Amino acid sequence: MNEDSLYIERFLSGENSAFEALVRKYQNRVLNIVYSLIGKDRESEDIVQDVFLKVYHGLESFNGRSRFSTWLYRITVNTTYDFLRRRRRFISDELTIEKTASGYGGPQEELLEKEKQELLKKALGNVPLKYRAALVLRDIEGLDYTTIAQVLHCRLGTVESRIYRGRQILKQELFRWRGEAL
Amino acid sequence: MNQCKRVKRLLSRYLDQEADDKEVIFVKGHLAGCPFCSEEYSGLLRIKRLFAAKERKVLPADYLVSRLRERIAASRQEEERFSLVSGMARLSLRLIPVPVTVIAISLLFMALTLQQRASEFSIEEHILSGDPTTIETAARVILQRTN
Repeated sequence: MNEDSLYIERFLSGENSAFEALVRKYQNRVLNIVYSLIGKDRESEDIVQDVFLKVYHGLESFNGRSRFSTWLYRITVNTTYDFLRRRRRFISDELTIEKTASGYGGPQEELLEKEKQELLKKALGNVPLKYRAALVLRDIEGLDYTTIAQVLHCRLGTVESRIYRGRQILKQELFRWRGEAL
Repeated sequence: MNQCKRVKRLLSRYLDQEADDKEVIFVKGHLAGCPFCSEEYSGLLRIKRLFAAKERKVLPADYLVSRLRERIAASRQEEERFSLVSGMARLSLRLIPVPVTVIAISLLFMALTLQQRASEFSIEEHILSGDPTTIETAARVILQRTN
């Protein structure tokens, strides 16, 4: 039995701290997927909360046929899709969440890196959602193609072509913004 | 040209180390001799690396847990309130037959009383009218009652 299953079992027997351990383990992964898909901090936070609330209320019905993380990512993607369907836009402003320790060298390098990240965010916002989702799950979360297919409910070949097409569009977008693919 | 098409199809899998051994050998061999596909590959590799180095967001340690605690507590209160209201609604639905029956019985009783009074009044009226047929009939009714 893996760690997640143990947490789930403990939670289902009434131990709320086990659920909180799951939240602590996955919160940043979920946040980074959501943030990469919608590009806005505050709303990403709200979506992450909604995701974990759905998990809290749905854990009893989790059948364990797939891994917990696959189930969680599916909820994450679906909740984000719902949000985007309501909003129908990709927003790329505000930076309120604290950043990871970047370790950038001097201020000039930091500025360049910031600019690069901003460009990437803008370019990513122009990649159609179905390609963006596959790309984010692969390159941000590092999931394998089989898991991505399970999360997105599609065939393996579809995942492959979406990732390929997504990278191509991203390359074109970056070229359009900057004149070179960074 | 056909080989280029096949390689492009396999390029993502190759890049993400999802290709099998045969495919890896085929793509590697092709890339070594095809500048177009090789350039395509380099471009995709750059994008993959750039994306992989994308800044990651980090939530403060217990921030989300405490927000979730608040929301879960709020949703529980909401559930309790809802269950109280729905419980009262269920109880009142169960109790509805009681007043309905009481009202129905009262109405029936009232109707019977009125009917009885009306029939008594008409007998007296017939007696007072002095009509012999009526007196005869009234006397028969009274006799029946006393028997």
